[in-house]
Amino acid sequence: MKDAFSTFHPVVNFTYFTAVLLFSMFFMHPVFLGVSLTCSFLYSTLLKGKKIIRFNLLYLLPCMLLMAVINPAFNHAGVTILFYLKNGNPVTLESILYGLAAAAMFMAVILWFSCYNAVMTADKFVYLFGRIIPALSLVLSMVLRFVPRYKVQIQVISTAQQGIGRNVTNGNIFERARNGLQILSIMTTWALENAIETADSMKSRGYGLPGRTSFSIFRFDRRDQTVFGAMLLLVVIILAGAAAGYNTMRFFPSLKLPPPDAFSFGVYCAYLALCLMPVIIDLAEELKWKHIRSGL
Amino acid sequence: MEAYQIRALSFTYPLREKPALKKINLTVKQGEFITVCGKSGSGKSTLLRHLKTVLTPHGKTQGEIFFQGRPLAESDRRTQAASIGFVLQNPDNQIVTDKVWHELAFGLESLGMDNKTIRLRVAEMASFFGIQTWFRKNVAELSGGQKQLLNLASIMAMQPSVLVLDEPTGQLDPIAAADFLGTVKKINRELGTTIIMTEHRLEEVLPMSDRVVVMDEGEIIIDDTPRRAGERLKEMRHDLFLAMPSPVQIYAGVNSDLPCPITVQDGRQWLNALPINARAHEAPAAQCCQEPAPRPNTKRPPDIQLQEIWFKYDRDLPDAVKDLSLEVAAGQFYGIVGGNGTGKTTALSIIGGILRPYRGRVRILGQDILKASAANAREQVLNRIAMLPQNPQLLFVKKTVELDLYEILAGTRLSQEEKRQKVQDVCALTELDGLLKMHPYDLSGGEQQRAALAKVLLREPQILLLDEPTKGLDGHFKIKLAGILEKLTARGVTVVMVSHDIEFCACYADVCALFFDGGIITQNTPRAFFSGNSFYTTAANRMARHIFPAAVTIEDVIEACRNNL
Repeated sequence: MKDAFSTFHPVVNFTYFTAVLLFSMFFMHPVFLGVSLTCSFLYSTLLKGKKIIRFNLLYLLPCMLLMAVINPAFNHAGVTILFYLKNGNPVTLESILYGLAAAAMFMAVILWFSCYNAVMTADKFVYLFGRIIPALSLVLSMVLRFVPRYKVQIQVISTAQQGIGRNVTNGNIFERARNGLQILSIMTTWALENAIETADSMKSRGYGLPGRTSFSIFRFDRRDQTVFGAMLLLVVIILAGAAAGYNTMRFFPSLKLPPPDAFSFGVYCAYLALCLMPVIIDLAEELKWKHIRSGL
Repeated sequence: MEAYQIRALSFTYPLREKPALKKINLTVKQGEFITVCGKSGSGKSTLLRHLKTVLTPHGKTQGEIFFQGRPLAESDRRTQAASIGFVLQNPDNQIVTDKVWHELAFGLESLGMDNKTIRLRVAEMASFFGIQTWFRKNVAELSGGQKQLLNLASIMAMQPSVLVLDEPTGQLDPIAAADFLGTVKKINRELGTTIIMTEHRLEEVLPMSDRVVVMDEGEIIIDDTPRRAGERLKEMRHDLFLAMPSPVQIYAGVNSDLPCPITVQDGRQWLNALPINARAHEAPAAQCCQEPAPRPNTKRPPDIQLQEIWFKYDRDLPDAVKDLSLEVAAGQFYGIVGGNGTGKTTALSIIGGILRPYRGRVRILGQDILKASAANAREQVLNRIAMLPQNPQLLFVKKTVELDLYEILAGTRLSQEEKRQKVQDVCALTELDGLLKMHPYDLSGGEQQRAALAKVLLREPQILLLDEPTKGLDGHFKIKLAGILEKLTARGVTVVMVSHDIEFCACYADVCALFFDGGIITQNTPRAFFSGNSFYTTAANRMARHIFPAAVTIEDVIEACRNNL
C-alpha cells in the first residue's frame, strides 16, 4: 500500500515527526508509552510491510527485555524491595518498572525514526533546510549527487586497475595497501579535474549572480493546512497536559501516577489521535479510494 | 541580424609561443546552424569558449567579438547567462544537482526567477523534450544519452538565443548521439535558436548544417556550405578529409564533375550518376574487395576460448551474458560490435578474469582460469592479459607521462637500463615522444589514449583487451591507433576490441562479431560480415551496396569505382 502521509508537504511531515519523537522521549507515563509504542509499530508495519514485524520481534524485543533486566541489576533505588541479590543489593519493583518504561521508550523512538527515514526522503530534507539557508540546500543537493557518483567511480577505477593487475585483491599486504592508496589517489585527481567542468557548467548557467531563488516542487495546499492545523491543536492540548503534570509519572522512591480525571483522559485521547494520525490518514485514503472505485 | 561577429580574433595561451587562434573572422547570423570542424587541437574549443565571457580561457587576446551588435564584453553576466547556452562534452560533469527537476530549474534559480515562472518554464521544456516522465527521477538513474539531453533541456529552459555545443556527443553511443543531434536540429528549426557546434560525427551533423567552418592550426581555412566545403577540401587535398563523412571521402577519391554528396542518400544518387560500367555488379568477386590475407596458421591453440558462458551480476538480476562461446586465435584482431547494454563490456571483463561466470568454461592461453585447483597458473595467465579501460584517465597516477610509465615497472626486478630501454621502445611504438614531460591530464583525448596504451603495453601482455578505444577520437587518432594495433598483432599479440565504431572494425579487424542479447549472434571476416548486413553496416557499404555489394570500407568503394569507370 502506498503511504498517503508522505504525500503531504515536508513541513507537515517534519513537524509531525519532531513532535512525536520529542513526546516519546520525554513523557515517561505508561499510557503515553503504550500509545506511542503501539502507534509507531502500526505505522512502521504499514510503511514497510510484514518484513518489519520479524525484525522487531527478532531484534527489538530481546533488546527491550535485556534493558528491563539490566536496569534493576544496577539501579537499587525504590521502596518496594522484592528480593536481595547475592552481593546484598536489593532488587526493587520500581527499578524493574523503570527499566521496562525506558526500554519501551527506546523502542518507540527507534520505530518512529525508521518511519521518519521512510517518509522524509532526501529531497524533502533538502527543501526544508533550503528554506532556512538557501545556499545549504544547493550544497546538500550537490552532495547527494556526488556521493553516489564517486562511489560508482571508485568501483570503475578499481576495475580499471584490476585490468592491469593492480587491485586490492592482488599481492601481499603491502602491495594491496599500496594499490588501495593508488585507487584513492586516482579518484582524487579525477574528481578535482572533473569538478572544473562542473564549475564551468555552473558559472555558465549564471551561478553566483545576486538574488538567487530556490525552486521547489512542493506546495502547501488546503489539505496540508487542515492536517497541520489539527496537528497543532493536538500538540497544544498535549503540552497543556504536560504543563499540568499529567504526562509523566514518578518512579522513585515510590511509584506515583498523576490522578486520573476528565482532563487527563482528554490529553491521552489527544496523544492517541496524534500518534495514530498517519495511520488514520492512510486508512481514510484507502477507504475513499475503494469507495470511489465501487461508486463507478 | 548577426548573432555574433568576430573580427581578427587572436588568442595565445599563457606560456605558449604559438597562438591557439590566428586572426579569426567569422559572422554568424541569427538562426543559423554552424558546424565547426577540424582536428583535435586545431583551436575549435578555444574559439567556442570565446563566445561566452565566463568560459573564456586566460591568455592574450586580440581582436573583437560582437554579440547581437554590441561588444561581448559589454553585455553583463546576467544577459550572457540567459541568452548564450553552452553544452560541454561530458554529460556527467555538467549535472550539478541530484534531481532532474532541480537540474532543470538550476539556471532559472540563478537568474532569480520566482517559483511560478520557473514552474512554467520547466514544464514547457520538459514537454518540448519529451522528458516529463523522468521529471522526479534521480539523475543517477539516467543513461548517458538521457543525461546529455537533460543538460540541453536545462539550458534551453533559460531560453537562450544562441546555443553553443562543444562536442556534445563525444561520450555517447551512436543511437543516443543521433537522438541528441535530432533534438538540436529541432531546437534550431522550431525555436529559431542559433546553433554553433563542434562535432566528430559529421555524418549526421553536416546534412543539418547551414554552414561548415573548417579550422586548421588555429585558422579558419574554409567557411562555406557543407557541399562546397567538401569540394573545397578536395581541391585543397587537405588531410582533414579523414574527418569527413564517408560519401565525401569517397567523392574525394573518385574523379567526377558532379556536386559533392553529403548524406548516404546523396551518395547513392551520386554513384548512380557516375558512368560506372553497367556490368560491374554482375561480378561481385571482381570488385577488388579481397579479405586481407589470413594470418599464417600456427599450431598454437586459440589464445581465448569461451564455452557456453553464463553470467549475471547478482542472483536476482537477469543474465548479462547468455550462452556465449567464442574463440580468438593467437595474433588475431577480434572486433565485437553491438548495441548498448548487450553485455559486450561484461564479456570483455570475463575474458580479463575480472568477472567470474557461474556456468561455462574460460580457457586463456590453454589454461582453464575457473579451475580452483590451478590458482597459481591462473595468476600467471591473468598477468599476461591487459585491459585498457574506456576512460584512459583512470590509469594515470603520476605527474608526468614518463613517471607514469616507469611506475608500472616499479615492482619488477629489471635494472635501470632495461627499464629505460623498455620505456623507449614503447614510446616509439605509441608515438609518445615529445609528450613525456607533460601531465597526463593535459594531453588531448587521443594522446591520453596512447599514453594509457603504452602503460598497459609495458606489462608485455599476450592478450590486449580494449573497451571502446575510439570513443571521442577524431579520424587522425583512429588511424594512429590502428597502426599501433597492427604492429602489435604482427608481433603475435592477440587483440580483442569492443566498439560501437563500425567503420573502425570494418577497416582493421580480422574478425567481426555481432553481440546481441548476451551472446554472439554471428561472426565472420569484416567483408563477409558487413556485406551480409543491411542496417548494421558501414556508411560506405550502405551507400554503394546496390552497385558494389561487397565493398565495405571507403577504400573498397573508391577502388571499385576507379576500376569500373
